[in-house]
Amino acid sequence: MAEGDARADRYALSDALPVDVDGVDPGLNVLVSGPPMSGKRQLVFDLLAPEAVPADPIVVMTTDDPAPRIRTQFDDRGVRFDQSSFRIVDATGAPGDSDPGIHRVSSPADLTGMGVAFTQAVDQMGTPDRLRLGFVSISTLLQYVDAERAFSFLHVLSRRTSAAGYLGVYSIDPTTHEDRFVNVVTSIFDASIEIREDDDGTRELRIRGLPDVAPEWTPFPH
Amino acid sequence: MTESEGGTVLIVDDDREVVRTYRRYLEDTYAIREAYDGEEALETIDDDVDVVLLDRLMPGASGGEVLDRIREQEYDVRVAMVTAVDPDFDIVDMGFDDYVTKPTTREELRRTVADLLSLNRHATDVREYHSLLVKAAALRDGKSSYELDENAAYAELESRLSTLEASIESEAERLTDDSRFVATLRAIDTSQRGESDG
Repeated sequence: MAEGDARADRYALSDALPVDVDGVDPGLNVLVSGPPMSGKRQLVFDLLAPEAVPADPIVVMTTDDPAPRIRTQFDDRGVRFDQSSFRIVDATGAPGDSDPGIHRVSSPADLTGMGVAFTQAVDQMGTPDRLRLGFVSISTLLQYVDAERAFSFLHVLSRRTSAAGYLGVYSIDPTTHEDRFVNVVTSIFDASIEIREDDDGTRELRIRGLPDVAPEWTPFPH
Repeated sequence: MTESEGGTVLIVDDDREVVRTYRRYLEDTYAIREAYDGEEALETIDDDVDVVLLDRLMPGASGGEVLDRIREQEYDVRVAMVTAVDPDFDIVDMGFDDYVTKPTTREELRRTVADLLSLNRHATDVREYHSLLVKAAALRDGKSSYELDENAAYAELESRLSTLEASIESEAERLTDDSRFVATLRAIDTSQRGESDG
């Protein structure tokens, strides 16, 4: 019974991953890493909305693609842009019309502003018990703030969602940062999903940190 | 460095009796500074001040105006608004880190100051945790695990890291409080100034 309840609480991932993962526990934070154009953003969005109609409210925090482009990518999944279930914290600084589903922050350098926008998004959605947060991307954030601040921000944000039982999915392009920094940032997360691509375009993925999932490279066709 | 082990609190209120009362509540633990209007508050504040208790309604510059100036000048300081009525607005939006409703009790005032200092410490701890993780990674580079076992500096790092990790993870639950979460991020945003003195 208890086990059944715990499983029911899990965040279903359906077939977002090429590996059999029933779901992940509430409060999990996962890092998706891969080189440019490897489809990591697509994977982040697949993990947020694995079904055409998402099961949980979604907040996407973006530091690079402005809100309309994020919406276009979700549009393909049939996600309704209902402000009660889908919000974007747009920290790109891109201008736009006032829209209750979009919380604008002037720049990714404004960590406080991103935090305020996140709390407002959550409050205005009625502080749901379940929520999936996507963050794209850590690499862009690092163009605006030093490594120590970026790390601190990600630590505090990930612990806040974890304490609320939310799922957090973040993306990073490890090829643009020193290995040491990537390793240190990865340590914030409970689990990581690495994507790699051969010269011939063969794509593989490796999951670490999820119980009952072997950390092996697995084909991940486009 | 702060003047007092416990931290430095600046009390700002045009009512001298209120300032005196707050001083009495706090002075056994904290170094206290006083100001009786907004201008004086801005003259008195410096990098040693950790917490400001700022009366919202004062003749001359209001608490909100003083707050804006403090933020513009990028002091690494936490600011609690002291107000006669429950704020009917979002203190998170206004840039305050917390608020106290008048009349306040000794216990409430002390708890507010302690909470603000503890979130400051949380922000400092996370930053230190990061810099030690980077150091530990540098030490690991090119060294065998045997060499690391023998390395006293590495052992000390590892021990400090686990202490810090326990401390920052224990604070995580409190981050579901919106104003605390935002105030912690603000402490990270404003931390640059305090960095140079250690």
